[in-house]
Amino acid sequence: MTRVDPVTLEVVRNKLDGIANEMQLTLVRSAFSAIVKEGLDASASLFTIRGETLAQALAVPIHLGALVPMVGHLLQSVPISSMREGDIFILNDTYQGGTHLPDIAVMMPVFTGGQVLAISAAMTHHQDVGGMAPGSTPTNATEIFQEGLRIPLLRLYDAGTPNETLLALLRRNVRLPEILMGDLNAEIAACTIGARRLAALAPTYGEEFLAGLFAELLDRSELMTRRALAALPQGTWRYHDFLDNDGVDLDRLVRIEVAVTLGNGTMICDFTGTSAQVRGPFNAVPSGSYAAACFGLRAVTDPKGLIPNNGGCFRPIALALPEGSLVNPREPAPTGCRTSTIKRITGCILGALRQAAPERVPADSASEILILHFGGVRADGGRYVTSQLLVAGSGAGPASDGVDVIETDASNCLNVPAEALMMEAPIRVHRAALNRDSGGAGRQRGGLGGIYEYEILDGEATVTYRAERHFCQAAGYAGGGPGGFAGAIIRRASGEEEEIPSKIVARLVKGDRLLIRTAGGGGRGEPALRDRAAIAADVANGKVSPEAARELYRFVAEPAG
Amino acid sequence: MTQPEPAPGALPCAPIAAGVDIGGTFTDIVCDRPGAPPFILKLPTTREDPARAVIEAVERLEREAEVTPGTITRFLHGTTIATNAILERKGAKIGLITSAGFRDVLEIGAQLRPALYRVILEPVTPGFLAPGHLRREVTEQRGADGRVIVPLDEEGVARAADDLAAFGVAAIAVVFLFSFLDPAHERRAREIILARHPDLMVSLSSDVDRAFREYERTVATAFDATMKPVVDRYLGRLEDGLAAAGIGAPLMVMQSRGGLAGATVARRRPVRLFLSGPAAGVIGAAAVGRSAGEMDLISIDVGGTSSDIALIEGGEPVIRAEGTIAGFPVRAPMVDLNTIGAGGGSIAWIDEAGGLRVGPHSAGAEPGPAAYGRGGQEATVTDASIVLGYLDPRFFAGGLLPLDPGRAEAAIEQRIARPLGLSVEEAALGIHRVVNAAMVEGIRLVSIRRGFDPRRFTLVALGGAGPIHAAALAAELGIGKILVPRHPGVLSAAGLLAAPVEHEVSAAFHRPRVEASQREVRDALADLDRTAAALMALEKIDPATVVIRYFADMWYIGQSYSIAVPLDPDGADPLARLHADFLALHDRIYGHCMEARVAIVNLRAVHRAGGSAIPQGNSVLAEAPALAERVARFESGAAMTAIHLRDALAPGMLLAGAAIVEQADTTTLIPPGWQAEVRADASLMLRPAMGAGT
Repeated sequence: MTRVDPVTLEVVRNKLDGIANEMQLTLVRSAFSAIVKEGLDASASLFTIRGETLAQALAVPIHLGALVPMVGHLLQSVPISSMREGDIFILNDTYQGGTHLPDIAVMMPVFTGGQVLAISAAMTHHQDVGGMAPGSTPTNATEIFQEGLRIPLLRLYDAGTPNETLLALLRRNVRLPEILMGDLNAEIAACTIGARRLAALAPTYGEEFLAGLFAELLDRSELMTRRALAALPQGTWRYHDFLDNDGVDLDRLVRIEVAVTLGNGTMICDFTGTSAQVRGPFNAVPSGSYAAACFGLRAVTDPKGLIPNNGGCFRPIALALPEGSLVNPREPAPTGCRTSTIKRITGCILGALRQAAPERVPADSASEILILHFGGVRADGGRYVTSQLLVAGSGAGPASDGVDVIETDASNCLNVPAEALMMEAPIRVHRAALNRDSGGAGRQRGGLGGIYEYEILDGEATVTYRAERHFCQAAGYAGGGPGGFAGAIIRRASGEEEEIPSKIVARLVKGDRLLIRTAGGGGRGEPALRDRAAIAADVANGKVSPEAARELYRFVAEPAG
Repeated sequence: MTQPEPAPGALPCAPIAAGVDIGGTFTDIVCDRPGAPPFILKLPTTREDPARAVIEAVERLEREAEVTPGTITRFLHGTTIATNAILERKGAKIGLITSAGFRDVLEIGAQLRPALYRVILEPVTPGFLAPGHLRREVTEQRGADGRVIVPLDEEGVARAADDLAAFGVAAIAVVFLFSFLDPAHERRAREIILARHPDLMVSLSSDVDRAFREYERTVATAFDATMKPVVDRYLGRLEDGLAAAGIGAPLMVMQSRGGLAGATVARRRPVRLFLSGPAAGVIGAAAVGRSAGEMDLISIDVGGTSSDIALIEGGEPVIRAEGTIAGFPVRAPMVDLNTIGAGGGSIAWIDEAGGLRVGPHSAGAEPGPAAYGRGGQEATVTDASIVLGYLDPRFFAGGLLPLDPGRAEAAIEQRIARPLGLSVEEAALGIHRVVNAAMVEGIRLVSIRRGFDPRRFTLVALGGAGPIHAAALAAELGIGKILVPRHPGVLSAAGLLAAPVEHEVSAAFHRPRVEASQREVRDALADLDRTAAALMALEKIDPATVVIRYFADMWYIGQSYSIAVPLDPDGADPLARLHADFLALHDRIYGHCMEARVAIVNLRAVHRAGGSAIPQGNSVLAEAPALAERVARFESGAAMTAIHLRDALAPGMLLAGAAIVEQADTTTLIPPGWQAEVRADASLMLRPAMGAGT
C-alpha cells in the first residue's frame, strides 16, 4: 500500500464527510414523506468497492452499518466488471441483507475513467410498501409476506434506462405510490450527488491514488479503534434484558442475552441465550445486531468523537448470532417491528460494556419508544389517521442525573406537539407532563418518563398502542434503583377502566380516554449517597414525591418558611 | 425600494450617525460624518457594565473627531447582552403559567437528542428557565378551533401570580394552549397579574410568538420573559449614560432579523435581540456588496474559535423563522447565521493513527495561539499563518499585540512537523489546507441547504482572519469574486449605519391554500399592519416612507417546516400567485415540487423604513506601489510577496498576487494567480488574474 501524505489524507477525508453530508441533505430535503422529514429515518453513505463504509452521514444510529449487508449482497451478486455507468440497484428484502421491508436501499456504482471507484448508496424508511396494514409494520404479522412487497436485488436503472416493469409493479403494490416514487427519487438524487462529487475528485488525485487513500483512511480508523479497545479491560461480560412480548403471544417475555468479549483489539458479541425467533414481527435480522454493536463500540471507544467514522471502525466487531433466534431468524419470519428489539439489543451491549468501562456508560435507559396510531371515523363519516411517538427517561450517568423524556440509543424521533395532534384529529390532549417518581433512585437519579392523556372527541377510533417496559424495568447500576414501569389504561366514558398489556389494538368511542405513562431510566449509585440539596430540589420541582423521598432516600423535607 | 431615503428621525441637514457594536472582546464604534471619512474606534469591552465602553467612546469621539454629542442625530447599537445572559445563565428569575396539564412542556420539548453517539446525556431543553417549583398550571381550555371549552380560572391566575411573586420572580411567562388563535385568556391573565403585582414584567406567548407548536412557543416566551428585566435595565442604563453625555438622539437597537428598533420597542420584544451584533455584520456585508454592485453574497467571518457563514440573496440576508441560541431552539426571526468550529485559534493535532487534524478544539483568546506568548503550547491556524509569512508578527492587531514567530515555529515544529516528518513550512501549509477544507464544506452545506450553487455568489471575507483564507476557499468552491470591505473587523458597527428601521409581526393563519379567501387574507394582513404601524409610530417614522412587505409561511399538508413566500395582496389573483411561488421556491430549496395540498401556516408583515447604500464612484486602474516585500509560502511554492498598507491604497489601484495587504483589523492575502482591485468605496475586489489557470 502506498503511503498517502497526512495532509492530503485529511483534506480528502473532509471532502468525503462533506459529500456524505450533502447526500444526506439531498435525501432528507427532497423526500416527500413525513417519516423521513420528522423521523429523519434515512441515511446516505459512500462505500469502497470492497463493501466497506467510506463515509456516512447519519440521522439515526439504527442505520449505522445497516447498508453494509445490502451493499455486500450487491457486490457478491453482481461482479463489478459487469456494472455499467447509469446502473442503479434497488433492494429491500430482509433476507438479502435488508433490515425491514419499509427500508429500501438504492445503490449506484461511481464511475471514473471507465472504472468503478466506489458505491454511492442511500436507504430510506418508506411510508408504505404494501402488505396487510398501512405503514407496513403490522404488530401482529406472523410472516414477512404480510408485511409488504419484497424487492430482491434488481436494476432500477439499467445503464441509464429506467426499469419500467419494476416501477409499474412497485406502484401497484403500495398504498401511496406518489409518495413512494417521491422518496425513491430523493434516494436516487442523493446517490447521484454522491457519485458526481466523488468522481470530481478523480481528475485532481487520480483513481489509483484515491483507492489507496480510501484504504488508508479505513486502516487508520481501524487502528485507532483497536487501540482504544485494547486500552479497555479485557474479558467477557454478560448482560440480558427483555422485551415485553412479541405482539402476538402477549403473555411471554422475550429474552435478549449477550456476552461481549474484549480481547486483542476485537469486540465479539455472542447472543447465545437469546430467545428463539418469535411468531410476531419483533425479530431482527443480523444487520440490526450489527448496528447495535457498532453503536456500542463507538460509545466506548470514542466518547469524544475523535475517530473518523468509517468501515475501519467496525472491523474489530464479530457477531455470533444463533440461527433461528430472535437475532437471526429464519425466512419467512416477520421483522417489521424490529426497532424495539434493536433498541433493547443496544441496551444489552451497553450493559455488558458498562462492566468494562463504567465511566463511559450510564445506568440502563428505559429505551422505550411508544408508537401510537389513531385511525378514526368522525360522526359525519370523515376519516382521519394520525400518529404519535413518545419516549421515556434515560439512565443516570456516573456524575449526572438521567434526562427526562428523551430519545436514547438506536432511535431519534420527534414527538408530535399537542396542538398539532389536536388540529389534525378530533382528539383532545389533556396532559403532557413528567411522570413523577418514575426515575430510578440513586446517587444519580434516572430520568423521568412522561404522562399523557388523550380523549376521543368525535365518532370512534381504532388505536394501535405499541410500548415496552410494561413488564420489565430499566435496571439501575451500582446500587441505583430501577426506573418506573410503563403503563396505560383506557378509561371509558362510563368510568370503567381497562389495563393495556404493552401492545394492543383497541376501539375507542367519543368520550373514552387513553392514559399513558412511559418508563423511567435506571438510577446509579446508592440513593443514600444522593446530595441532600438535589433531593430537596427534586421534591420542590415535583420530580420526586415527599413520600418517595422519605422511602427511597430517607429524606424529610424541612417545613417551608 | 433601494433608493437612499432620508434617515428616519434625521435632521434635514448634516446627519451624523454613530454605530456601536459591543462584542465579547471589543466594542467597535463607527461614526459617519458628512464630508469626512468615517471615524473608527476599537475599545476593550467592559463586561461588568458594557455601557461604560460606549460612554467612553462618545467622549473620545468628541475629543478625537470633534463630534459634539449634541450633533449626533442617530445612535445605533448592536449588542450581545441577550446571548451572553443566556450563556452565563444570568437571565432574570421567572415564573411560568400554563394551561392545566402542560406545565412540563418546557422540559419535555421535542424529545430529540442532538449528539447521537453520546450515551451519557445532558438536558437539551431549557427547563432551567423555570424549574418545576416556578411553574403553575391554571384551569382553562380552548379547542383546536379556538373556542373556549373551559373558561379561565381567574382566581387561579391570581393565586399563581401571588405564589410566584413570593418566590421572588422578576417576570412571568404565560403560555396557554391555542392562544395563537385567540389571546383573550392570556391577556386577561396579564391584567390580573399586573393588577396585583405592577412591578412584575409579563410575556404572553400570543405576543411573543403567535404560532402553533406549544414547545417552541413556550421556549420563546420564557426566553423573552427572562431577558426582559435584563434588557430593560441595560438599555435604561445606556440611555441614561447617553443623555448624561449630551446625546439627544434616541437609542436604536439592532434586532436579530437585521432591522433597527427603538429602545422603547426593543425592550418590549427582547427575544428578538439574540443575534443583534452578528445581524449588523450581515447587514454590513449586504451593504458593502450593494455598493460594489454585488447582490448575491456569502459572508464568512473567521474569528478565533469559529467562523460564521451567512447568505445574502438579491441584497437581502436569508432570514430564518427559528434559530438556535446557546443550543436551544428560539423561534424568533433572525438572520440565517451558520457557525462552524474552525477559526484562527483552532488547534492542529496528530491523531492516534498519525493523521493531521485541525479543530474542533481552539486555543481561543486565552491562552491563544503559541505566538501570543501567553502560555499556549499548541500549534494553531494563526501560528501557521505566521510561519507562512501571511501575518507580520509586529503588525498584528495594528501592533497592539506583538506576536512571537519563534514560538509559532517551535509549536508547529514540535507538535506537527517532526511527528509527521515534514518541514515546518510544509506542516504549516498542511494546517491551512486542512482547515480550509473544513471551511469549504461548511460553506457548501450552507448554500446547498438553501438550494443555491455557491459558484454564482461573491464571497465577502470578514473578521481578523477571513481575508487570509478567502482566496483558497473561493478557488476550491469555484467562486470567482471576493469582496474585502474597507474595515472587515468592524463591519457590525458599520452595518448598523446602513440598516433600516424595521418591524415584523406575524400571526398564525391555518388554512389549506384552496380554502383561504382573498378577503380573509386581506383582513389578517390589515390586522398585522395595524400592529406593525403602531410600532413604527413609536419610532416616529413618517408613514409615507414605510415600505411594507408581506410573507406567507407555507407548506405541503403533512410537512412540518414551512417556507416564507413573498405575498403581494394587491397583485392579480394573489393567492394563485402565492401558490405558484411556493411551488417554485420548494423546487429550488428541496429539489422538487408537486401538485399536492398546500397550506398557509402563518402570515407576516414587515414594515421597513430607511436603510442606505454606500455611494459608488468611478475607478481608474493603476499599479499600487508596494511598501515592502517578504517571502510567503503558498501551495505553489515560496514567492516574494509585496506588502501593502491598506491605509495607503487608493481607489483604482490594482494589486497583483502574490501580495499582502495589512491593516489594524485584518490581513488580506492575495495569492499568486489572484489580483485585487481597490474600489471607489475603498473595498478590495479579488479575482483570479487574467490568464491564470484556476
